[in-house]
Amino acid sequence: MDPVVRIKNYSYAYPDTTKFAIRNINLDIEPGQCHCVSGPTGSGKTTLGLAIKGLLPPGNEEGRITGVCATDDGGTDIGIVLQNPEIQILASSIGAEIAFGLENLCVDPATMPTKVREALDAVGLDRPMEYETASLSMGQKYRLILASHLVMNPRLLILDEPAGQMDPDGLKKLLKVIQALKNTGMSFLLFEHNHEFLTEIIDAYWHLDSEGYFRAGCLKMSDYDPSMSGSPGRGKPGATDRKVVSARKLTVSGADGSPIFSDLFLKVAKGQRVTVYGPNGAGKTTLLRCLAGFVQASAGDVMIFGKKPIPGNLRGRVGCLFQNPQQQLFENTVYDEVAFPLKRFGKKGTAMASKVDETLNMCEIGDLAGFSPHKLSYGQKHLVALASVLAADPELLLLDDPFAGLDQSRCELILNLLSRLNQDKDLTVIWACHHPQMFSGWADLEFFMERGKIVAHSS
Amino acid sequence: MALSFLAFGSRTTTGLLWLTVINLALLLVFRYGFIFLRREIKVFLWQTAIIVSLYMLRFGWIDGFKQGAMISWQLSLAYMPGVIFIKTTPQPRIVETFSAVAPYRAAFVMATCFKFIPLILTEIRNIYEGQVFRGAKILRRDLLNPCNWPDLVFCLALPVIIRSMNLAGEITLAAKARNFGFKKKRTCWPGI
Repeated sequence: MDPVVRIKNYSYAYPDTTKFAIRNINLDIEPGQCHCVSGPTGSGKTTLGLAIKGLLPPGNEEGRITGVCATDDGGTDIGIVLQNPEIQILASSIGAEIAFGLENLCVDPATMPTKVREALDAVGLDRPMEYETASLSMGQKYRLILASHLVMNPRLLILDEPAGQMDPDGLKKLLKVIQALKNTGMSFLLFEHNHEFLTEIIDAYWHLDSEGYFRAGCLKMSDYDPSMSGSPGRGKPGATDRKVVSARKLTVSGADGSPIFSDLFLKVAKGQRVTVYGPNGAGKTTLLRCLAGFVQASAGDVMIFGKKPIPGNLRGRVGCLFQNPQQQLFENTVYDEVAFPLKRFGKKGTAMASKVDETLNMCEIGDLAGFSPHKLSYGQKHLVALASVLAADPELLLLDDPFAGLDQSRCELILNLLSRLNQDKDLTVIWACHHPQMFSGWADLEFFMERGKIVAHSS
Repeated sequence: MALSFLAFGSRTTTGLLWLTVINLALLLVFRYGFIFLRREIKVFLWQTAIIVSLYMLRFGWIDGFKQGAMISWQLSLAYMPGVIFIKTTPQPRIVETFSAVAPYRAAFVMATCFKFIPLILTEIRNIYEGQVFRGAKILRRDLLNPCNWPDLVFCLALPVIIRSMNLAGEITLAAKARNFGFKKKRTCWPGI
């Protein structure tokens, strides 16, 4: 059987660079197969996907990619779903969203509704076509993007880190859809470093290393091992004396008056590690924003360090990292970025310099001090953002899934670091995320939020 | 568009009153409740307060108030038809409408910009809140002191500009991934 795509000795370097981002790639994908490429953050997985789809800017290219059928409408019969569904949704109703590709292919508008309905059915999204895209959950949005590619009849679909943004329930539904499409002969290429969730549909594994070299097989993605981060948090002595956070019957409502979460009780003592799990849209971000004082409670009480949270009063005591923390970088060098909070909190001279060096070394980015933070890799930017928050020695760290999409080794590095700070400096950590498996055994307290309620907790 | 131009052209209270009535009628026709206009009303009130204050400083209490209120009213009436159009028209129709006066790529960019405003606002909020805890003096009370204004530029505006440029690149890529721009013309989703 002819492969859908044949990649032969393919290498690519971006314009104005001499270093190849990906090197000597050899890969055949046959109809109905699902291949998975793993690799650390920044290893070139997305670059490979864009190369196959033909979306890379003209750069230094070697080798070739064949079998990609140019369609008579000027496109290719390959679809690529990028990482963040929010950015890929371009229309306000699901019908218009799916029809976007058809519009670009100049399909007769009269035939569009039937094709759109078929694509919706294929991904199991049972919603009317005028349904607002903004009202969909993250998992539904991902399937919507999938449908918007399916409607263009691709032979190969490339999915870039599908597990990065979705909760386990959304992933399960996606798996079913992929399995059904595979049975129809469609091929898939997944770029995913957390591929444990996807093993049942994967036929072949590949690995891209940090230098862009490609080989068969994958790294063993073992579960997170708490021993890697020093002792686990559970049962930490003396961790229940001094309250850092307490919330009683806490309710926060949205602009329309409906509760985002309600009647929530929470007690966190100094030095505790707390994880808040829950599917996308469960209210985790709003909870953290409420604890930080940026969102007002509509009922109930919340206290941080024994007082109502007011952001201005918590500066220096609370550190906060939201999703995509690299967005907050603005200085010219990594050193200045980490020094910024220290300057603001009154440190000067050698005291500041030694604190910056200590923090950079602690985050294992000491060698990047003189570099521009804007030119670093995705993973390195995350570490700089974390260092710039930790430099101020906060007592409480609020993390809103800031490390989603990072590879296992970087996640372990960060968990090690936070565990050390927790043990040595009694740092209290509240970490919201949607993949409970990530921190199994790490936290002292685990909460599970669903539909605005804490439905389970363990301690 | 015509209503917006008329708002700029109207120099009399009667003319602006007529335009206000037409805009209100449009809101009723499109069943667009005032509750959804909260943000716009807030913008209008802030805008009025700033413009009227500046005019009063320049032209005195009574004349300044009259002229400032008139300018603010005109600006709001110029802005309102656009808001009603964007909020009541599906994105493909917006692209189609803009396509009548601009190339379809430009029309797509114009229509898509509006769609991503809420996302950009969320990004701004995240950057703002993160920077506050890093020590940036950008809280409202901090900004009463002009010495803290540079923080607003360096800690908030600069990251937001960088993020917006990245976002524009990502949106372009997402559109190209679905063959946008491969053909010289496009058809339009008929809507259901």
